[in-house]
Amino acid sequence: MTTTNTQPPPTKVPAQPRTSIGKFLVQGGTTIALIALVLFFFAMRPDVFLSFTNVRNILFQVSILAIIAGAQTVVMVVGDFDLSLAATSSLAGAVAASLMLGGVPTPVAILVALVVGLLIGIANGLLVAYLNLTAFVATLATMTSVIGLAYLVTEGTTLFNLPGDFTTLGQGRFLNIPLPVYIAIAISVILWAVLRFTTTGRKWYAVGGNAEVSRLSGVNVRRGRLLAFAVAGLISAIGGILLAARLGSASAVQGSDNLLFSVAAVFLGMTVIKSGQANLVGTMVGVAIIGVLSNGLNIIGVNSYVQQVVTGLIIIAAVTLSSLKTRER
Amino acid sequence: MRTRFTTLAAIGAIAALALAGCSGGGGGGGGSASGGGDGDKPFKVIAFTSGNQTPIGAWWVKAVQAKADEAGWDLTMIQGDFDFQKMNPQVESAIGQGADAIFDGYTDYASISSIVTAAKDAEIPMFAMDSGTEATDAFVLNVTTDQQGIVDSTMGAFDEALGGLKGKNVMVIGHDPHPGIRMRAGLAKEALEKAGANIAGGDIQKVKSPATGRTEALAIVADYLTAHPNGLDAVWVGWDDAALGAAQAITEAGSQAKVTGVDATSEAIAGIQSGGAFLATIEQPWPSILDTLMEAMTAYQKDGTLPKKNFEAVETTLVTSENAADITPSDKLG
Repeated sequence: MTTTNTQPPPTKVPAQPRTSIGKFLVQGGTTIALIALVLFFFAMRPDVFLSFTNVRNILFQVSILAIIAGAQTVVMVVGDFDLSLAATSSLAGAVAASLMLGGVPTPVAILVALVVGLLIGIANGLLVAYLNLTAFVATLATMTSVIGLAYLVTEGTTLFNLPGDFTTLGQGRFLNIPLPVYIAIAISVILWAVLRFTTTGRKWYAVGGNAEVSRLSGVNVRRGRLLAFAVAGLISAIGGILLAARLGSASAVQGSDNLLFSVAAVFLGMTVIKSGQANLVGTMVGVAIIGVLSNGLNIIGVNSYVQQVVTGLIIIAAVTLSSLKTRER
Repeated sequence: MRTRFTTLAAIGAIAALALAGCSGGGGGGGGSASGGGDGDKPFKVIAFTSGNQTPIGAWWVKAVQAKADEAGWDLTMIQGDFDFQKMNPQVESAIGQGADAIFDGYTDYASISSIVTAAKDAEIPMFAMDSGTEATDAFVLNVTTDQQGIVDSTMGAFDEALGGLKGKNVMVIGHDPHPGIRMRAGLAKEALEKAGANIAGGDIQKVKSPATGRTEALAIVADYLTAHPNGLDAVWVGWDDAALGAAQAITEAGSQAKVTGVDATSEAIAGIQSGGAFLATIEQPWPSILDTLMEAMTAYQKDGTLPKKNFEAVETTLVTSENAADITPSDKLG
């Protein structure tokens, strides 16, 4: 037996594969988190969690958040954000309720409320795009004024005894599924299509990616941002009107938690796609995480204070993932 | 240079004297420092509330202004919008300018310790309406409602509607930051356990924000009923807005559970009258409580007489379908 003492060939150390488990977790973390949450709560309450009634519950509970988060997505696609969306939605609900109680026909009241939302969105857009205020300052200011307006409209009380044809919008069912679920799905699909397939959507992404390059490429950046804020105002008004219909009442501050949760949903959604940009499918994954978490924790009887802590931690985790991904790029 | 310095010093001295003249001396300079009115000047009152954006708070602001006009008081009304960082310094500043009395509406003493200290330093008595659930030396008089009485009445309504509470599953929904709701929710839990009822969910379910109380309560009850179909006989809720959310969840789930609230808002009364899940609420007699406090303040204005006791908890009225039509809703007081 002869042995040959051969030198090992010089090896070229291969670069670490970029599709490591770590990267997989970073890129798919949010979706994995959603699946993990569903599996966890299903394991905890297999008889309840994925039952038709409970899934319908979750969909019903997140439908209005989904609409407002969709509006927030549009603004965040252009690189801004809107702190006034929840306040705008409350005001729209209050305006519709106030008009209907004053004898205005339901369709007209809804139309006026939508116009109010649109006007607030346009005001935000003008402040940010044309007067060059930062979105934070502009929308914080409009939020403050809009909350005041909502108090004026409601006179600080809760408006109720709304007409049946209005409350049906929020409480009615088709095929045993609440109507707000269909409306949320329809709005989400439309927004997704606009963002993905239309020139406007591509321009919005271009503006959000690099406003200066977009401007030099011939995109009207100001108009794009104005349009995004206007659309967001209009959509948040739809959310507010639906919330008033769902609860059968309207107050100046109802649905105020939708602001935090809509931003959280968009941030969660930004981790879903490679580019780390705001995107509608991701936002809906974020909305689903928030809904599943809240419903699941309620079902297994976790204290609401703990729920709040857990929700915050998940948002931190998602934003951390998002920043890791951005750094990697 | 020297002339300029002298001129500046003179202007400074005049300005200081003018300011001292405006602010009066010590804490009570603007009013009558000896307590009570001094006859020549109008009785000076600082009134404040953090809850002016609630219907009852808004009513209180208007009612106190009307009564002050009627009594010829010099009233400074400070509305805090739930923002203590904004309200407390405003009240302290007003105290610094002097007053004869301070009137706190619906603001818990725990949130106004700096105001309490400033009032004590200035020796200005503080009268209060629903500003804490226990006696405290912060106020010369605080009149609120009897929390135990509220719980006893609502438990009685459940007992009657459910044919006894023993073995029944009852959820309690509270909101800790509000001292009244926190106290009565705790008392409700105790009463239910004593009566042999099961506390659904094992403990008090806590709503985080009053602004979203209705949607939070709706989700809590809807989720609970999904997990425990027919697992609820009743829901005791610390205030009407959240009770309306609980009642809506029960109706949507097709459950027969009953709900009680507290506040007697128009919407709650309408819910009771409709014969649905909303069984009863509690009317708190705010107008008569205000009258009691006005009497106490007028007595102090007259001759410096202070109330004999510093805390009073008055009786409330249970509102059911039988008397709902006779009740003035709390959001329609003004």
